[in-house]
Order: sequence, then structure tokens, then C-alpha cells
Amino acid sequence: MDINFSKEDIQFRDEVREWVANDYPKHVKYKQDNGEPLTREDMVDYHKAIAAKGWMGYNWPVEHGGTGWTSTQLYIYNQEFGKAGCPPLLAFGVSMVAPVIYTFGNDEQKQRFLPDILNFNTWWCQGYSEPGSGSDLASLKTKAVRDGDNYIINGAKTWTTLAQSADWIFVLVRTDSSGIKQQGISFILVDMKTPGIEVKPIITIDGEHEVNSVFFTDVVVPAENLVGEEGKGWTYAKFLLAHERFGIAAVGASMRQLSRLKEIVSKLDNQDLDKKVAEIEISISALELTELRLLSALENGGHPGAESSILKIKGTEIQQGLTEIFVEAAGEYALMYPGPHGYGSNDKPSGPDFAANSLSSFLNMRKTSIYGGSNEIQKNIISKFVLGV
Amino acid sequence: MNLNYSEEQTMLREQIQKFCESEYDFYKREDVVKSDQDFDAKAWSLFAEQGWLSMPFSEESGGFGFGAVELAVLFEEFGKALVIEPYLSTVVLSGTLLDKSNYVNKVQIIEGICAGTSHVSLAYSETAKSYDYLAPQTTLSEDGLSLSGTKTLVLNGGNASKFIVTCKKGNDFGLVIVDADQDGVSLNSFSTIDGQSCSEIIFDNVAIDLDSIIAIGDEAQKLFQDSINLGTLCIGAEAVGCMTSCYLKTVEYTKTREQFEQPISNFQVLQHRMVDMFIDSELARSLLFKAMLEVDADSDEKYKHVSALKAHVGKAGKLSAQNAVQLHGGMGVSEEMMIGHYLKKMVFIDALFGNADHHLKQFSK
Repeated sequence: MDINFSKEDIQFRDEVREWVANDYPKHVKYKQDNGEPLTREDMVDYHKAIAAKGWMGYNWPVEHGGTGWTSTQLYIYNQEFGKAGCPPLLAFGVSMVAPVIYTFGNDEQKQRFLPDILNFNTWWCQGYSEPGSGSDLASLKTKAVRDGDNYIINGAKTWTTLAQSADWIFVLVRTDSSGIKQQGISFILVDMKTPGIEVKPIITIDGEHEVNSVFFTDVVVPAENLVGEEGKGWTYAKFLLAHERFGIAAVGASMRQLSRLKEIVSKLDNQDLDKKVAEIEISISALELTELRLLSALENGGHPGAESSILKIKGTEIQQGLTEIFVEAAGEYALMYPGPHGYGSNDKPSGPDFAANSLSSFLNMRKTSIYGGSNEIQKNIISKFVLGV
Repeated sequence: MNLNYSEEQTMLREQIQKFCESEYDFYKREDVVKSDQDFDAKAWSLFAEQGWLSMPFSEESGGFGFGAVELAVLFEEFGKALVIEPYLSTVVLSGTLLDKSNYVNKVQIIEGICAGTSHVSLAYSETAKSYDYLAPQTTLSEDGLSLSGTKTLVLNGGNASKFIVTCKKGNDFGLVIVDADQDGVSLNSFSTIDGQSCSEIIFDNVAIDLDSIIAIGDEAQKLFQDSINLGTLCIGAEAVGCMTSCYLKTVEYTKTREQFEQPISNFQVLQHRMVDMFIDSELARSLLFKAMLEVDADSDEKYKHVSALKAHVGKAGKLSAQNAVQLHGGMGVSEEMMIGHYLKKMVFIDALFGNADHHLKQFSK
């Protein structure tokens, strides 16, 4: 056994580390560290910077303009960005819709969409969940009816992250209701400027506008925007979910938060908090090694399967746990936080800098155990595919 | 980076598994527990024949020079089968300490250990209340000629022909070696919760000569800490084996146990609890990997990462075993069923060499 990366991988790590330190937009790192919300411009800035470096297609094969990196390089890339306090890349374009397009789409779709994703010229959002379809996604009801060269879409999507900024949405729609619910689902790409689409904000408990409802009323979409075969959307949806497993543990980002937290807690002389910090540090170490073990299996020709659900469950528990300790460390100062309506006064309260954003991070992070297949769904997956019950 | 076991390591695991299946099933183990010696002499000579007793020793001492990874493989399999042979006390704690020391007679003693003909126990615990092993009250007189004090929880003490005893000499920490049959050594033996044996030993003005002193001062401290650290890693690996068996056996049981006209594994509340057991065992395994690789690299971080492992298995391992008992229902609390014995083993492992709280503090230092 050898836990050390190869010479080439270490060179690669140093290259990533150096670029992140020197060329990554500094105002974005600052906001991320301090739990401040990023504006649309912030997000465009850092995506464009990464695109300009040629690292946008980090998990794509070379033939489609990707980096063709190994799993180890992918791991290092995620780890270094996280450790440096960079927010993750928006997954919707580069690691969700793009792999579906280059795997199941036709040549015209590849040429039309992939370069813009690589350069972050188009912002994608994900039309999966519906008001009546959460964990039971296949029960979705949004309908697409074929009408000549078009589909007419009617229905509603919800929890659509950053739909307010998006240029395009990929939607799962029902094109056939006759069979079992997993059949008759299709995967369609829709221009957000199409008449009949209405985006309504949903304000979350941290006071932020991150997610939305998206309503479709007689939205006319050219049939050429169908990806793959009609009725095979469920297969593509599952492919998409399985595609983005690495990085889901967010170990690098949690390490960053941990080191900030340790600095804060070390000054408090509070043994209860010391203990909680030690516990979560051990969990992070365990998660890091779990990810490395999966990576090692992958690099040696294995197929890490449902075990990777551990990364989602523990990774999100750790992310949430860290924000909880920040809130505790802030004490009563955590209670004075901006919320949806801003401070009452233009001055900030007298507490430590981290206090004001500790609560909004804590509230914001609740989403992590709900999205991407809730942690309970992940446990069902492990139960079925690993334990065999 | 490669975190896969080598072919040799996998072969070692298979050998041990084969032994556990054919020579050490739960009923045979029960016979060992009930025996006077609390170990199986036949199994022990087999260990010697297989070379397992020589694994961690340097080639100069007649060993194979294997590291923590191999020991962890052995202990993980021991954990699964709940093997209670005194490997920890004789080979790991005493043997590796001697091997790393400059003690004059070490090769001869290690030869006896490798051959399976002699047991040596480490006498380090005094009050059984605190884990401050570096401040013993047992005293080596200023002239270095006489040892007095009381030790408790000396694992396998009743079978040992020699004891390595921690002591103080003035302000220094020391390690001396004493024959079990020397004048002034008296001992009382007990069973431990997991079916092993241990002794309480009184050393009353036991004569010590220069050849009985292994080390004094910093050297002694380092030898002792490394020995306990390696022992802690080994029982951490044993815990990983226990946790793995706990979830596997529980899954197996709930699939066959029918209530309300169906296997109880159909119930989601049980499924999720078993998933929690599985996840905790995988996390424990990951911490074991980190710890054993740090120990083999002899890095400055090795104590810290062994503490991380011990803190996790102390807490999560007990919880896993408790869940295993719970999901086995009445079977879980039956002495004649194996499953409840994992709980006893986990309680033993948590308390030995510092419990979860202790190692959490060590980790954050």
C-alpha cells in the first residue's frame, strides 16, 4: 500500500494549487469563506476564469473538449479548489447535462451546446423535481405532447436552483402515461426565453433567493431538442445522477471550514466545543480516506458502486455539522443575523465577524441532506445494493 | 497511490480466515474460554508453525519484518472470529517492545516467542482508573536493585514466564523485565469480559540486576509509547473486524427472521439502522488505513491517527454491537449465541488503552 500520489500527480496538484492561489478571483474566495452570498457576476467571474484556463470540462473526455483527467486528477482538482475556499463549479451544465448530451445526444446537439458549456456562455438549470415529485422523481407529471415538429410542454418544476440566472433548462417530461411510471419519460432541452415559461422565486430559510418554481404553460419546444430517444429519459436521468459522484463528499471544502473553525474555537477555551471539533475532524479524516479508498479501487479497475452513497451521506452530515459548531461558537451573537430583510440598522452587530453569517450558512446547509437524492434515499440505495435487503 | 492489499497480504488474510473457520469456530472458542489457561495451546503452536508469531519482528531477531498493515489484517480476522489467543500481550505489546529495545537478552526471548514456547506480558496498568501510564507508582529503587509495586489488568499474566514492568526510578520512567517465578512476585488471575485472562500482580522487593533493565528515561518512554500505540492500532483493527461481522451477521439474521408474515429485513427502520452499522464500519476501516500507514511510515502523526481510530471504534463500535444485539432480539442477549459476544469484545476494546473520550482528547492535543 502507498498513500502517496505519484510524482506526476503531485506536479499536477502543485499546478492546480498555484493557479488557484494566483489566478482564481479573490473576491469570490473571500465571500465563500465568510458565508456571504455570491452574486450572479461573482459566479460568472469564477466560471469564466476556470473556462479560460481550460479546466471547465474537468470530468469530460478529451474528444469533447474536456481535460481527460484521471480519477486521481479529478480528486486532486476538487480537493485543491475546496481547500482554497473556492465554491464548487455549478454542476448543471458541465457535469449534469453535458455528459448526457455527449453520451446520448446527436452530433448537431453536441456542436450546438458543448462549446458554450465549456466556455460558460450558457447557464444551465435542472428541471427535475416537481411539486408532487421529490424523492419519488419518476412520478413526475409535467407533460410534453408531440405536435408536428414541436413538443408542447405543460406543468411545473420546483426547487430549480438559480433558474433566475439560467439561459437553458434540461427537463424531464412525461411523453407517455400508458406504462409504468419510469417509462414514458423524456429528456428535453428548453431555452428559458421561450414564451410560456415563468420563474417564481422561493425564498429559503436563510433568506436567500437560490431556488425557484418554474411554470410551463403551452411552451413550444422544437422536437430537435429531445436528447436521445423519446421515452428513455429515466435511463439518462439515472446516468446523470451516477455520473457526478466524486467531489460530492466536499472533503476539501470541509477541511477549509474546519481550519477556520479551529482557529476560532482555539481562542474560546471551551472544552465542549473542543470535543465537537475533534469529533468532526476525525469524521473528515475518515471521509477523506473513504474517498481515497474508492479512488484507489477505481484506478485499479474496480467499480465503486453504491458505496459512494457513503460520501453523500457523511459528506453532507459533516458540512452541516461544521456550520452547527460555528453557530455554537458564535453564542448569542449568532442570533443577530441579517435574514431576508437585512439588518435593522446599517451598522453591524458587535459580535465577531463570523457570527453574522454563521446562522445563514447553518440554515443554507440544511439543503445538502435533502438534494441530490435525500440521505434517506441514499440509505435505501445502500440497503438494496450493498446489504442486499 | 494504491490502497489495495498486496497478493502476499491477501494470502495472509486467507490463511487466517481458513484457520478461524476450521479451527476456531464459536463452539471451539467456547471451549477455550472455559479452559483453565484461557488460550488454546494447539492453536498457539499452529500460529508458531505458520510463522504468525514472528510476523512483526525484525529479521535480526528472527522475524519477518512485517509492519502494521499485516498486523491489522491478522487482528481484523481475529475480531471477526472473536479469537482470544494472547497475541496482543505476548507478540505485540511485549515482543515488539523488546525487538526495538537495546536489551541484551532480547533475541533469546523473541526466539521463544516466535517458537510459541514462551509468553511475555506487559505490566503497565496500575489503578485501572486513569490512562496516565507514564506516571507509574511502581518503583525501582535508587540503587536499581529492587522493584516494588502493584499492577493490574496484566493480560495473559497467568501464562507468562516473564513480565515487562513499567516503573519509576527517581523522576525517570523505566522498563524492567522480571521472571514470573522470582521471589516477591505474587499474582491473582481473573477472566476478562471477552473471555481472555488477566492478572493482578504484586511486586514486593523483587531483586533486579543490571541485565533486567530494558531502558530508563526517554528511551524507555518511547519504547513503551510505541508498543501501546501499536497495540491500540491492533485492537482498532480487531474492532473493525467485529463491526464488519456485526453488520453482516445482522443482515443475514434479519433476512431469515420472519415476523408479521415477512422477513424483518423488509422494515425500513431496521434497514437504515443496518446501513448506519455498515457506514460506521467503513469509516472505521478508513481510519484504520490512515493509522496503519502512518505507523508504518513512523511519522510524527502516528499517535494522533491511532487515537482517531480508537476514538471512533470506541464509540461507533459499541453502538454497532448494541444495534446488532437489538436487531437479534432475544437471540442477541443469549450467552450461547455469538452475536452478544461482539458487544463484550467492543466494551473490552473501548476500555483498553484509553476509551473514546480519552483518545478524543489525545487527538485534539
